[in-house]
Amino acid sequence: MKIKKGFVLRQVCGENVIVGEGLDAINFGRMLCLNETAAWLWQKAQESGDFTVESLSDALCDEYEVDKAQALADVKETIDNWISQGVVE
Amino acid sequence: MTEAKYYKVADHLFGVEAHNSILAQMSNYEPFTTNPADTTDTLFFLSVDQEGPVSYKEEWRQDEEGQDTICGHTEQGESVFEFRWGGRVAGWLVCSPGYRKGALHICGFQAKAALDNALMIMFAMASACMGTVLFHAAAVSLEGHGYMFLGKSGTGKSTHARLWLNNIPGTELMNDDNPAVRVKPDGTAVVYGTPWSGKTPCYRNVSAPVAGIVLLSQAPYNRIVRLKGIGAYAAVVPSISGKRWDSVIADGLHDTENYLATNIPVWHLDCLPDSNAAHLCKDTIAL
Repeated sequence: MKIKKGFVLRQVCGENVIVGEGLDAINFGRMLCLNETAAWLWQKAQESGDFTVESLSDALCDEYEVDKAQALADVKETIDNWISQGVVE
Repeated sequence: MTEAKYYKVADHLFGVEAHNSILAQMSNYEPFTTNPADTTDTLFFLSVDQEGPVSYKEEWRQDEEGQDTICGHTEQGESVFEFRWGGRVAGWLVCSPGYRKGALHICGFQAKAALDNALMIMFAMASACMGTVLFHAAAVSLEGHGYMFLGKSGTGKSTHARLWLNNIPGTELMNDDNPAVRVKPDGTAVVYGTPWSGKTPCYRNVSAPVAGIVLLSQAPYNRIVRLKGIGAYAAVVPSISGKRWDSVIADGLHDTENYLATNIPVWHLDCLPDSNAAHLCKDTIAL
């Protein structure tokens, strides 16, 4: 999976928000609020280009004290949300 | 004969070089005329000629009430904007990277409208990273403070501004369609009149610190609520012109939009086109 072209993580009034700014995303017409963990995952996903639930879960476990099962569940929930919002492909 | 003229809008200096017959049509720029002793801090310089057509690769097009703007770039990487009215080409604006220099190639048809569009684009792009944004809004002043009314086309921005003028003594129209806002180094956000004001000839070289931004929606009642955080940001962003797929421009606009959403009171007014709407709005937001 990868983040669709044109979606950008912005700091808006102290919160993490995904906005559509690129040519392919300019008609997104809404904003997606992310909590701290989701924003961290977004940055990881952006850096790695291609990612999976597995690869982001591993990254999460490396960075934070969280067990693998919990990480997998959290990452899957986050990514499922991104898929349903149409910001990853 | 061609001649160069300089103008200052929102404290940004820019120059236009064009044939006298074109400059003679620029009466809406007269209040902004300046004769700078020094032109080193010129925001941009636009030259107008009749060379064309321009070949470019299309990236994006916007259709607004029979007026098309097609954006793209040349092989050399210059940004191109083609202006059409009713499908007929009026001209091409070709901009250097960073929007410091522009060339407008006019065809003779709708030349003045193409020039206005070209100057608005150059102004918005060249100043995007300098804390300046060009709004689609109506702006009024009252007792030294500026208030801006935003909304989609046809929502009644001009109507609401006129309701203030007719019902609230001391209100003045600053601009009816495209005011500029500039965040100063000391953090003050100031709204300015510009040479661009839509269908209303209101080209005033005036300014006032912004005291309130109001997003309007039509409703069968009048009600006003304060927007904060992301809600305020989401209200402001769609009213600001820019080429957001250029990440440098997008970053500049975002910084200003985020600053305004954080520091200026932003409101949402559901309203009727009546005097009560103006009074409710003024009583709620005016300093």
